[in-house]
Amino acid sequence: MTRIHADIDALKGLHDALVRYRHAQRDVTARSEDQLAVTRASLEGKASRCRTQLELCQAELGACQDRAARAAEDDSADGTVDCSGYARAVEQSGERLEQIRRWQQRIDAEASEFQVTAGRFAGLLETELPRMEEYLVAIIASLEAARRVQTPAS
Amino acid sequence: MTARPDQDGDQQLRLLGDAWDKAAEHWRDGMARQFDSAQLTPLLHESRSYLEALRKLLDTLEAAERDTEG
Repeated sequence: MTRIHADIDALKGLHDALVRYRHAQRDVTARSEDQLAVTRASLEGKASRCRTQLELCQAELGACQDRAARAAEDDSADGTVDCSGYARAVEQSGERLEQIRRWQQRIDAEASEFQVTAGRFAGLLETELPRMEEYLVAIIASLEAARRVQTPAS
Repeated sequence: MTARPDQDGDQQLRLLGDAWDKAAEHWRDGMARQFDSAQLTPLLHESRSYLEALRKLLDTLEAAERDTEG
């Protein structure tokens, strides 16, 4: 009895594996989309904080340069005002912001390329896999029907 | 710790391959060959392409997070 139905059992096992595969890979695609969204939001947050920092540094540099200009006009002022530290801070903030922007652009480009493959895979999960499952169900049903017909005669 | 989605996807791919190997031990007729070549093989091929693309994207996302820390 076991040997007679081994093919049917094997097909049922394959069918169940396909159903599990479809659900599990759907979960994989959803988590991947989430991961992409999380990273994009994280980079946008970093860029925003960096822009704020850059504006602050630029304001401080501007104030320093004003003080330097006033000091230069005032002969009685003692020494010169050094704004190089503020200038360095502006430069560093600008470089960091640029670095974040480059990553954002790279991720946009790679995500756009990825969407082509992901779209094909999603179509497979939504359309082709259910068809494969139905195909197996039909084969299983026909084998079971044939066995039912054959059993009384054997 | 949760595994990366691409690693879970790879694991699912292996499980499906195992299920097919098991089924193929008992299902060996023309329909089985047709199912293998016309449906299962393209599915596995497309799955591998997707998971490879996903791995590359997730590597980039992790590198972006690392490189912009601080």
